[in-house]
Amino acid sequence: MNFAWTAEEAAFRQRLKDFLAATLPDDWERFSQHGPASPALTEYARAFCGKLAEDGLLTPHWPVEIGGQGLDPWHQTILAEEMWVAGEPRGGQYMNVNWVGPTLIKYGSPAQQQRYLPAITGGTALWCQGFSEPGSGSDLASLRTRAERVGEDYHVNGQKIWTSYAGLADTCFLLCRTGEDRKKGISILLVPMDTPGITVRAIPSLIGEGDIHEVFFDDVRVPATALFGDEGQAWEIIAFSLVNERLGIPRYRLARAARDRAVAVLKAQGGWSGEAVRIEAAHAAALCEAARTASYAIVTKRAQGEAVGPESSSARFATVMAERRVAEFVVEYLPEALADAHPYLKMHHQRGIVAGIAAGAAEIQLNIIANDVLKLPREPR
Amino acid sequence: MDLSLSSDQIAVLDALDSLAKPYEAAPLHGTGFALTDPGLDRALAGGGFLDVGFDPDLGIATAGLVVERLARLPQASEAASSAIVRPLLGDGVGSPLCMVEEDKLLRPVRFLREGATVVVAGRSVTSFVATAGQVRAEPEALFGYPVATLLSLPEARTDHAVDAALLRTHWRIALAAESAGLLAAALASVCAHTTERQQFGRPLASFQGLRHRLAEAQVRTNGVYWLAMKAAATLDPADAALAALHAQETARAVVYDFHQFMGAMGMTLEHPLHLWTYRLKLLAGELGGRGGNALAAAETLWGSA
Ligand SMILES: Cc1cc2nc3c(=O)[nH]c(=O)nc-3n(C[C@H](O)[C@H](O)[C@H](O)COP(=O)(O)OP(=O)(O)OC[C@H]3O[C@@H](n4cnc5c(N)ncnc54)[C@H](O)[C@@H]3O)c2cc1C
Repeated sequence: MNFAWTAEEAAFRQRLKDFLAATLPDDWERFSQHGPASPALTEYARAFCGKLAEDGLLTPHWPVEIGGQGLDPWHQTILAEEMWVAGEPRGGQYMNVNWVGPTLIKYGSPAQQQRYLPAITGGTALWCQGFSEPGSGSDLASLRTRAERVGEDYHVNGQKIWTSYAGLADTCFLLCRTGEDRKKGISILLVPMDTPGITVRAIPSLIGEGDIHEVFFDDVRVPATALFGDEGQAWEIIAFSLVNERLGIPRYRLARAARDRAVAVLKAQGGWSGEAVRIEAAHAAALCEAARTASYAIVTKRAQGEAVGPESSSARFATVMAERRVAEFVVEYLPEALADAHPYLKMHHQRGIVAGIAAGAAEIQLNIIANDVLKLPREPR
Repeated sequence: MDLSLSSDQIAVLDALDSLAKPYEAAPLHGTGFALTDPGLDRALAGGGFLDVGFDPDLGIATAGLVVERLARLPQASEAASSAIVRPLLGDGVGSPLCMVEEDKLLRPVRFLREGATVVVAGRSVTSFVATAGQVRAEPEALFGYPVATLLSLPEARTDHAVDAALLRTHWRIALAAESAGLLAAALASVCAHTTERQQFGRPLASFQGLRHRLAEAQVRTNGVYWLAMKAAATLDPADAALAALHAQETARAVVYDFHQFMGAMGMTLEHPLHLWTYRLKLLAGELGGRGGNALAAAETLWGSA
């Protein structure tokens, strides 16, 4: 077991830090509070990702054949950590490089690849992920948005909800029902968001502007060439897509940085002398480190080419615990951060609440751990 | 970064698995609060498992793995201090090795008996070999270790040229690695019982009220494992304090749940669960408990006020 970074990994991290220091505007900490899906950040991300691409830092972990440099999962982790701890200046484009691009390469038709990949590798595309529906959250396979084949078109009717980036996205990676089978009746359409019949409504949220939306599909017609993969193949494809996403965002990294920032502020303000505050900070530190090492155990497996199994749910839940403890620490000892005294801490707090819900809720992770890590008998359905 | 085991570590653990097998299978009916086996202690010493920390290629990182693995056995053996603390003191120091804090002398001491080596952590590090008159055995104690009370501290003790802070770092690593194994074994034992036992026509473990708390215990236990292994690899004082803190906090969070989920069976000495959980109870207060370890971590990470 080696818990130290190699010189090369450390140099890669430093390169990213240097890039961020040279590129982000001076008022970035305040600016980034707009939230990763806000119009301001989305626009900024286009310029930022373009520069990342020029420096070979947008898709370095993609295989060489598809325009990457074939860097291993550790580099992917370092990249994700440095971007997230900086407030995710890639905005919604992080999804492109993590899974939309690789999925297009694996399952897309040549025409789809030609159409969509250049904007992803150039750092200008913005996708949204049309999965959840009002009646289908954790139970995604119950989704009801329907796509009906009519001649050379699909006619789409239904509703998506909680869709991040939908207000500004150019394309939707849309899950819809083409058959009755719970999972094998689901297909994927790549739908341009300016197609007539699509209505997007932003939902005001605790986590910043533009993050979640309702998207209505009212007799939306897309050509059959928008079908991604085969009809009924959606479940298989998203399983592939989300393999890279199983660990989720490296939230433990921002949680740790927020915790350290809070401690620095407390020390400067004379708020660090009591035992209670130091004990609480240490609890938060232990949970951050537990989440980080549990995540690194998964990255180790990936780096060795092994399949990542249900243990990633354990790392995910550990991250939720860390995220909450840091947020609670700040609320208790530095409440002024949530007013406007410390933009970085506010940014952490605002984003942190999502950890236990988005990309698979915490209780679903516990169900997976119970079933597949502890191998307990399943709940009856 | 690479958290996989080295081939040497895999070999050590394989050998340890073979050694441990017969002890795992030992009959556990009505064992009393603590279970020990002199044969196991001899086999461990004979196999050199407690000395891996002296080997610079294996180091404390491998000692941590050994301690974690051994703690999963129902038999308590004095492996943690010998494997993880003793390399600081030199191989002239005998076993069992009993750790005491100079300002907390009334506490029950694990494995203390006549002839044991007592290491005293104060401002400096000293040790002595206990005599019969210094020791009162506590056969009725509610702990999963054999314990005794240290009645007096002799004036004449051997000085060790080792920094007391470093000693505490190793002690914390030992505590965390041992806790990781205890937690894992206790969790496995509860999962087995709740999978087998049926109520309301279903296995207990199919009820979500239990499943989620067991899954959360898995998350915490996994965290203790990785923090302990990291501290054993880095020997960093902050890592060690965080590992000890997380171990004690996890024990606090899960031990009563574990007994709870066993129903009355978890109150008996016929089921072995206590052989792990009642060891965790003694470790809960070591090195200042959660508060003490948290303050130590905070001090190392961020300095004082
Ligand atoms: C900030 C944010 C961004 C998002 N972005 C997108 C996006 O871009 N695209 C998209 O498609 N979706 C998105 N989502 C939606 C997200 O995927 C869902 O919120 C998530 O899958 C949970 O579904 P739900 O909100 O309907 O909660 P529910 O499924 O209603 O769950 C509510 C609670 O019940 C628990 N629960 C549910 N089922 C069980 C069970 N079987 N056992 C025990 N407990 C259970 C859950 O764990 C949760 O605690 C986003 C969500 C958030 C918060």
